[in-house]
Amino acid sequence: MILDKLLIPMLTATEQAAHTVADTLGTAAGHAAEQAGSHAEESHELPNIIHMLDKVVGGVFGDLYRWENIAFAFLAGIFMCVVAMMVYRRREMVPGSFQNVVELIVETLYNFFYGILGENTRRYTPFLGTLFIYILIMNWMGIVPFLKAPTSAAVIPISLAIVVFFYSQAVGFRRLGVLGWLHHLAGEPEDIVGWVLVPLMIPIHVIGEIAKPVSLGLRLFGNITGEDILVAAFTMIGVMALSIFGKGTPVGIPFQIPFYLLGLLMSAIQALVFAALATIYIALMLPHEHEGESH
Amino acid sequence: MDFTFALALSLPIAIGLAAIGSGFGLGRAVGQAMEAMGRQPEAAGKIQTAMIIGAAFIEALTIYALVAFFLLFGKIG
Repeated sequence: MILDKLLIPMLTATEQAAHTVADTLGTAAGHAAEQAGSHAEESHELPNIIHMLDKVVGGVFGDLYRWENIAFAFLAGIFMCVVAMMVYRRREMVPGSFQNVVELIVETLYNFFYGILGENTRRYTPFLGTLFIYILIMNWMGIVPFLKAPTSAAVIPISLAIVVFFYSQAVGFRRLGVLGWLHHLAGEPEDIVGWVLVPLMIPIHVIGEIAKPVSLGLRLFGNITGEDILVAAFTMIGVMALSIFGKGTPVGIPFQIPFYLLGLLMSAIQALVFAALATIYIALMLPHEHEGESH
Repeated sequence: MDFTFALALSLPIAIGLAAIGSGFGLGRAVGQAMEAMGRQPEAAGKIQTAMIIGAAFIEALTIYALVAFFLLFGKIG
């Protein structure tokens, strides 16, 4: 009985999902024109669990659907917190396999950041490593069926980029002092030519500082969105290939599998690039101890 | 020619042009990195990391064209 109650909604949901894919993708161009701005963005990707619950159940899930990116971002955060707490509570001198994996990840990240930051690494690894793992989990959520990559909406990557922007500026304030920060913004003038060029250098540096988070956010957003739309498009081709046997088949030929593998790779690279660039922005703000070494 | 027609015609071309540019850039960057790795195999790890970051920078230019595509896609009736 209970199984019936569980199974039937699931089946209808799956069917609904296939229909939604067919609906949203098959006539994407027509729909996008009809639907106003905010919905046009979501309609290119595979439906996720919240989307399906909204279609089937409605009510509360309709409100949740409007906040789906935030909901999935929270899910990723909660997952990270649970893993971290599990490892922290039950840590041992001789680590078990689970603790070993987590320690390996932390150590690898530390060594990676050490190549850029040098002896300052220990101070900034918690922020940068969390950033990397968080973005990686969010990117990979696009590959898990019924989940959505929150980074494929412009909101999440841009807000992460803004966090990095303010963090790197705060690092500049703390390590260089206000005057040192202004000196850095003026292009670090040392001779008379440098001081003459200050009125020219300040606007250039201000524009450069603002361009950093914009490019950082848009890069992640564009890559993950493109990848998810690619997967959705090939799912649609698979569904369409089977539609010669009748309209609206619930399953399709899984043409999207190779693109899942591609997505696995691209998600990891994009997370790495985001973390590496954040590290470089912080490294640029630190006082230059090694003269002659170009950053 | 109305503007939806013009958009439908020019958006794919825009992505193609951007892809040609970053294709040349990527070919050059990766080729040079491979050459450097062949010359100094012991520095392969560092070169590879720098290459991936640089490749992401180059690739981002195509992605900007893709973002413009997404933004204007809804306007094609």
